[in-house]
Amino acid sequence: MEKILVLVHTDEGGVLPRAALETVAAARSLTGDFTIGVFGEKAGASIGSLAVEGEAFSAPRYATDAAACEAIVRKAGATLVLAPNTFRMARCLPGVAARLNGAVDTHAVAVSHDTEAVTVTRWFYRQRMEGTLAREARPWFILIEPGAYEAAEASLAAAVEVLPVEATTRTTHVGYVSPESGEQTIRPDARLLFVAGAGWTKKQADGAVHTDEAGELILGFVRTAQSSLGSSKSLVDLSGEGQTVLPFLTHLHQVGQTGSTPRHRKGLATCCHGEEPHVVGWRFINERRAVNLDPNCGWARGKADVLYVADAFEVMRELNRLI
Amino acid sequence: MSFEIIVCGGLAPDPLQTLEPVPGPALKNEMMLPAVFDPWAAHALYEAAHLAAQMPGSRLRVVCLAPKAKLQQVMMKMAQKLPFELIPLDGPSNGFSDAGPTSEALAGAIQALPDVDISRLLVFGGWESATRGAGVVMQMVGERLGITEQFLAVDEVKVDAGALVIKERVEGGQHMVSRCAGPPAVLAWATGSLPEPPNHPQTGMANMRTMMPALQKAAAVAPANGVAYHEVALPKVQRETRIVKDLSAAEIARELATWVKE
Amino acid sequence: MSEPAFEPKPLDADILCVGFGPATGGFLTTLSRALTEGGLASQAFPGMPPQVICYERADDIAFGVSGVVTRARAIRASFPEFEPAEVPMATSVCTEKLVYLMDPDGASQRPAWMQAADWMLQAFSKLTKGQKNAFEVPFIPSFLHKNDGFVMALGQFNQWVGQQVMMSGQAQIWPGTPVAEPLIEDGKVAGVVLTGEGGEIRAPLTVVADGPVGAVSRRLDDIFGLPEGHKRDEWALGMKFVVDLPEGVELAPGTVFHTIGYPEPEIFGFFYVHPDRVASVGIFIPSWMESPVRSGYRYLQHYIQHPYLWQYLKGGKLRSWGAKSLLESGKRGEPYLAGDGYARIGENSGSTNVLTGSGVDEAWLTGVQLAEGVIELMREGRPFTRENLEAAYVTRRRASWLEKEGAVAENARNGFQRSLFLGFLGMALDGLTGGRLHLPRARREKPPRKLIDHYFGRLPHSYVEQIVDHCLRDGRPLHDALMDAVGWPEIPYDGQLLISHQDALLVGGKVQAPGDAADHVIFRDHALCQACETRICIEICSGEAIHPGDGAVPAFDREKCVHCGACLWNCPTANVMFAAGPGGLHSAEN
Repeated sequence: MEKILVLVHTDEGGVLPRAALETVAAARSLTGDFTIGVFGEKAGASIGSLAVEGEAFSAPRYATDAAACEAIVRKAGATLVLAPNTFRMARCLPGVAARLNGAVDTHAVAVSHDTEAVTVTRWFYRQRMEGTLAREARPWFILIEPGAYEAAEASLAAAVEVLPVEATTRTTHVGYVSPESGEQTIRPDARLLFVAGAGWTKKQADGAVHTDEAGELILGFVRTAQSSLGSSKSLVDLSGEGQTVLPFLTHLHQVGQTGSTPRHRKGLATCCHGEEPHVVGWRFINERRAVNLDPNCGWARGKADVLYVADAFEVMRELNRLI
Repeated sequence: MSFEIIVCGGLAPDPLQTLEPVPGPALKNEMMLPAVFDPWAAHALYEAAHLAAQMPGSRLRVVCLAPKAKLQQVMMKMAQKLPFELIPLDGPSNGFSDAGPTSEALAGAIQALPDVDISRLLVFGGWESATRGAGVVMQMVGERLGITEQFLAVDEVKVDAGALVIKERVEGGQHMVSRCAGPPAVLAWATGSLPEPPNHPQTGMANMRTMMPALQKAAAVAPANGVAYHEVALPKVQRETRIVKDLSAAEIARELATWVKE
Repeated sequence: MSEPAFEPKPLDADILCVGFGPATGGFLTTLSRALTEGGLASQAFPGMPPQVICYERADDIAFGVSGVVTRARAIRASFPEFEPAEVPMATSVCTEKLVYLMDPDGASQRPAWMQAADWMLQAFSKLTKGQKNAFEVPFIPSFLHKNDGFVMALGQFNQWVGQQVMMSGQAQIWPGTPVAEPLIEDGKVAGVVLTGEGGEIRAPLTVVADGPVGAVSRRLDDIFGLPEGHKRDEWALGMKFVVDLPEGVELAPGTVFHTIGYPEPEIFGFFYVHPDRVASVGIFIPSWMESPVRSGYRYLQHYIQHPYLWQYLKGGKLRSWGAKSLLESGKRGEPYLAGDGYARIGENSGSTNVLTGSGVDEAWLTGVQLAEGVIELMREGRPFTRENLEAAYVTRRRASWLEKEGAVAENARNGFQRSLFLGFLGMALDGLTGGRLHLPRARREKPPRKLIDHYFGRLPHSYVEQIVDHCLRDGRPLHDALMDAVGWPEIPYDGQLLISHQDALLVGGKVQAPGDAADHVIFRDHALCQACETRICIEICSGEAIHPGDGAVPAFDREKCVHCGACLWNCPTANVMFAAGPGGLHSAEN
């Protein structure tokens, strides 16, 4: 019988990250009870019955986080530790697994508990193949990929045991900075990739070019949907040639053979033909939809799940209103 | 101030090749596929070389666990890029090998070096690999070496009055900035900011004078594998595209809005 | 005080090799064994063993493209215990057939005698033994057979050889390092000049083995010329698919088909079965083909759909794709094999035998012969002068089967410069009489015909012009429109084996061209391009890297170029500059 621990952390202000509640959902999908342990700022007033808190444990740092996690896992006597695959957990838990002679698997997209064995499903080779595996070693740390489960509801713990933990570190937390290019880049953790193709800069039905509106529609959507912004090579090449097209697009946005291969759960391509060199950059985009006027474009040939044959200007005007 | 930098890295099949699993699991034709130095470990190496060049007296070594014949081939490319010493371990370097025992082999190789000054030690590596993609080996190496100043998904390190100012990738497209009082530390790199250095044949020839004998003597290691794979399969590549031709823009937008919010 | 000008510059190595293919493989295998035995000293680094360095242009030593069937006589002499199972994709030949393919589409441009032969075969179906549109020739001429040989993938064989050479510790093979040109001082080769920032590398001996279109070889020919009467005017483009055969196809590994007759009468084809239900299938487009519409890719798509092959390939999956030029002039195109400080081996040294359809084993042998000569000279402490290399290397080559068979092949293809019929007749005559009888060589090369001449009687003049105009306007190559117009059926894309050319560039690998390298294909005189009617460089480009640009000068995309070099010999005005450059590796299993 596994002793299951859900191990989560709070973020600044004591807020639980959404991924923590998704991990609770993963634990509920397994058979058996589980304990919740929380560390971080205001961890004692959260969903866990075991907690490590205090100033030393507020900011993410390997030495203090690892000490907190070690204490909670030991106290819980856990054989199976489920944790969200946040950067904070990904930083410290593998080391804790080594410290406790356990094992660790990250980026788990599913965990199940059929009959006796617990299995984990995850991807290999840059998400090119999917494997299901089990392990004998315990404690076994399983980091659940954000987005793999629907977040569960969880109430505050009725009784909390705050564990005393000593930890020293030579690292001080300074703060957070945003990249200069801000909203207009590929955001690694966005759920959606929005791709703008060269069609946005072509003459529209009225015979005129509407790049200003195209820019507003694209940026409007990216801001509201908090999505990544990508582009096709042809469009960024046009921008690079100094044409008065979408000036906020640079080669940093280029997705595809000569650009990036971002990871997002969903992708929406607009005014982009879906040629193979571009679509190879979509390798890690799981759900794909496209809006294009050409019903015979590349997306139609098995490269997208849904192709909407329509004018992207009209669709995006409506879509921006809805979201 | 100078550092003792050790970069850990493995090999990956050229990311642009077609990959397919076979029972085992293993990669179909693994030994046939052209290999590259793992892209993230390569970023770590370029950053390490840059840092070593900034801090005179620093020493740069690379510990690499991979099949010897493949490693030799890949080193013929990497050795042309910058000067470093190679500590090769002859063993598996694929996505289905186990991260824990891999980290033991790497940490063991570092501990076995007779002349490592731990007080100046920086252990570099990629935050993930292009094979297993787990992002766990470096932390376990650090843990086995007793190093508790560790950083994941590093994009920048600067030396400021003997301290390391480090930027790590975190959620929301942001970087977290930390200040570490100094070595020893483990830095698992994301992409950093340095491009791939061009090839310098003379650098390669100089490197090979020590690498070739090291490769010939490379010790075989067979890390245990604690993973029981139930299944490994390719995803369905070809999608069944639903082509929607007769919806109005408003209807399409409604469908998309629902999908985006899902 | 400045240094005296005559002070010799320090050496970087003892032996430099340019290019890693089967010739260098044979050279380094033989040489590294002798170095392992010991007793040889470095001239460049006194007190050390000789330093041997090989520069390969591509990113990997598995660059070689050839789904090869070879008798492997020389390779087996180097590896007497050779077991094909040691090399991925290699196996022994078990069945070999020569098959004449008829035209099921009626779209190929067949001469009357061939149409008559097709009619005869169709009328007397007993001859074809029920095979649709194909006739299995009951015997294979002795000069063509390979039934004691191996089927291999050259990329994998190269990798296998390279790993052994490097693990011996006696030679370094550097991929991703193109050599721009030979370093020539006082009329002697003193080493090489690398591209980019690589600079000069000096050695007493430079071994030039850079393949059919190698930049160093061509530069040497520019400087030293070719021996009297020698010409390099016969070429072919080989293009192939590596295919996962569908479940249920029970062709034994080692099955070999050589084909003639389809998709055009001038196009020879092949189908080789590797272990694990994998096949290499491809065609050769010769320089003497009359059609200026030379799309290897489109023709290969029709070829694999020929009913004789499609019965095995239908339902298969494309694993990878590759293309290369073949220098088919053979001995007639042989350059000076040795000079002061250098020697030439492999395909560019004229070793390919066009009659036996064999080049890999011949190339290997030239490398072995040079290595034997070099070892002899080093043991005797003699310098690498032209005289010494001729005595030690060229003499060995002249005394071997390579020379004898090369001489037989020298005139085997003469007839093709006149007509297809005379071509086949001449080849048979030459091959069956061991070269004693052959047709005389035509005085002039046979250039590709003009479009309107080629399509005369099949398409109206004005229609051809209209197609040319439309393609130019739309920025498309001509071949698809013209082939459609003369009745080639549309390709039924299935997303598995029949996929677009652009998609094929991304199957099984992708060309990687470093971002900081310069374009290696340059159109010298734009006026000549503007005056060019057919722009065959675009039609034949294996990777669609050369494509219609905005103006009349074609555009070039380095990231698609597989370095087949076909643009070089297909330009009617020799206006293409094809320099050494990195990249071009598409797949390691070609």
